[in-house]
Amino acid sequence: MTAPAAGDPQRSALLEQLAQLCRTGTARRSTPAAAPSGFPELDANLPGGGWPIGAVTELMSDAAGIGELALLMPALSRLARTGRYIAWIAPPYLPYAPALAARGLPLERLLLIQTGSLQESLWAAEQALRCPAVGAVLGWPAHIVDRNVRRLQLAAEAGGSLGVLYRPPEAAREASPAALRLRLHAAADGVMVEIHKSRAGRAGLRLHCRSADAVAVHPLAAAGA
Amino acid sequence: MLWLCIRLPRLAHEALAAVAQRAASTADCSTGHAVMERAAVERAAIERLAGWAYQWTSLVSYHLADEPLLWLELGASRALFGGHAALLAQLEAGLTLLGYSHVCALAPSPSGAALLTHVDAPVGTRTPPQRCAFTLPQLRARLEPLPLSLLALPEAILSALQSAGLRCIGQVLALPAAAIARRFGPETSLYLQRLCGAASDPRPAWRAPAAYRARCEFGGEVHDTNALLFPLQRLLLEFQGYLRGRDCSVLHFTLEFEHRRHPAGSVTIGLSAPARDAAQFLLLARERLQRTLLEAPVSALILQALEFTSPAIVQADLFGSDAQRLQQLQLLLDRLRARLGESRIQGLQSRADYRPERAWDCVAPRHGHRPPRESRESGEIAGAGAPAMLPMRPCALLPAPRRIEAAPELLSGPERIESGWWDDGDAARDYYVARGADGARLWVFHDLRHGGWYLQGLWV
Repeated sequence: MTAPAAGDPQRSALLEQLAQLCRTGTARRSTPAAAPSGFPELDANLPGGGWPIGAVTELMSDAAGIGELALLMPALSRLARTGRYIAWIAPPYLPYAPALAARGLPLERLLLIQTGSLQESLWAAEQALRCPAVGAVLGWPAHIVDRNVRRLQLAAEAGGSLGVLYRPPEAAREASPAALRLRLHAAADGVMVEIHKSRAGRAGLRLHCRSADAVAVHPLAAAGA
Repeated sequence: MLWLCIRLPRLAHEALAAVAQRAASTADCSTGHAVMERAAVERAAIERLAGWAYQWTSLVSYHLADEPLLWLELGASRALFGGHAALLAQLEAGLTLLGYSHVCALAPSPSGAALLTHVDAPVGTRTPPQRCAFTLPQLRARLEPLPLSLLALPEAILSALQSAGLRCIGQVLALPAAAIARRFGPETSLYLQRLCGAASDPRPAWRAPAAYRARCEFGGEVHDTNALLFPLQRLLLEFQGYLRGRDCSVLHFTLEFEHRRHPAGSVTIGLSAPARDAAQFLLLARERLQRTLLEAPVSALILQALEFTSPAIVQADLFGSDAQRLQQLQLLLDRLRARLGESRIQGLQSRADYRPERAWDCVAPRHGHRPPRESRESGEIAGAGAPAMLPMRPCALLPAPRRIEAAPELLSGPERIESGWWDDGDAARDYYVARGADGARLWVFHDLRHGGWYLQGLWV
């Protein structure tokens, strides 16, 4: 007769799981592993509560410089502080060392890999993703097809790392096997995130993420004006 | 003492054929040069093999005759490798992998072992018991029924013995040594005594050279880097044996390509941690060769290593896997370097300078041997290399400041940076955060010396 009392938390957990399954319509196994993004509104709406580990995430930014990296920085810093490396494959700009260090990324965990062609970039990204010592791989591939993404997805699964691809906004029109696809729009004090696709999660949400960069800018604006 | 004798009946042929077989389409074997000086090829091959065999024993000796013979003294080391059966199995597997046909025999005397390699036995992968003798009486018992013609004696002596009515070795050994010495010379008598272990038989021990240089000559010419991989694998396996024998590792080695009509070319393959694993070497060499253009067809391949270090031994870590992680990273870095080039893989560090474009540096990636805690602290110090009170900096910097037409919509600022009058990078600038037309946050400055607006960074 004590069964209901003992079974209650179990039952609510079961109900939650059921609700989750109903939402997605697919019977996925447990919630996937995730690295907290450091943005509460984003974490609340991503399956597992953060960036998917062992999978590829695509970020499609309207323009360069709207806070598309700031969105990742808390997670990257945390990964790097656990001793794993962050590999940057052919970034289109120079990752600025003092700024990265100021945001808590230990610089000695940073690998900057320059490549000569898209083929080399994809190869290097795959190698880095497969390496268990690497926690996250950032890539800026120009034109890729879903076969490329699938390869990277498999590599990320094998290495248990966070794969991030920055893709142009037009890529949103094509399908992609990436686990998470976000569109990023400029916003006044941060970045507007639109969940384009989320495996085992909800798509279509628009979230406003206030980034530390934007916040840091504003007090100065008042002082300078 | 227990001697293993390895008879290599097809050494010269196989040393050359490794290339020809694998690359029948690409290797051009019909050139006049195909008739190599067999002796030179054999000597090079057996020198490499001796180096390879050195990993199992400190006493390796070889003899180049009609059929080259390689001796290994196993008595001292067989216990280390799990008994003679296990050791023999390893050795034979290794020889098969190298692609050399071989006949092995074990005996307490070197000449006895050499003779036992001729004993007929059912064909199999393992050395049959008929070719193994562990004690002197056992050796004698094995030798006695064998035909006389197997003795390594001059033809004249053999026919003289045969004409005296002797048919098997046992009958010769039964004759008094003094009589044989008187009739056929003291060398013959000494040979027979050494054969059954009655007289000592010192062999010149092969000495590991201080620098490794192995040359593999091809029967023909190889046009394609892929066709080089098979002979390269053999070279690397032998190299691995040599490194194990000397208990050392390398940080880099060089591959040289000899061409008939061109000066030799070479590539150096570097590793980020000392290693001696042939499979790892081969993987790196393959990546490296893929981006190497051969100037001309290759006629010989040379593997050379001049500097050796003590091996890096990765110990299992009870609390976390830092050492293991380090090793995995080193493997990754080696692969990336082999394919992309040394300079393409970098790390970053901060520098104490107010000018943003000088406040950073490219360094070799730090897969530090420092404990992570310490390195984190130094990272923070480096981050504060420019004084800690500085306003936030953007994470993305343009390779060089880019001139823009007019001032964009300014959000905050200015932050004045005046620095560098003492060197060639004099700067006097007012920095602002600005908003671009597409909503991007820009880091721009106004040049106070020459006027004009410049874009230097992006708040990515």
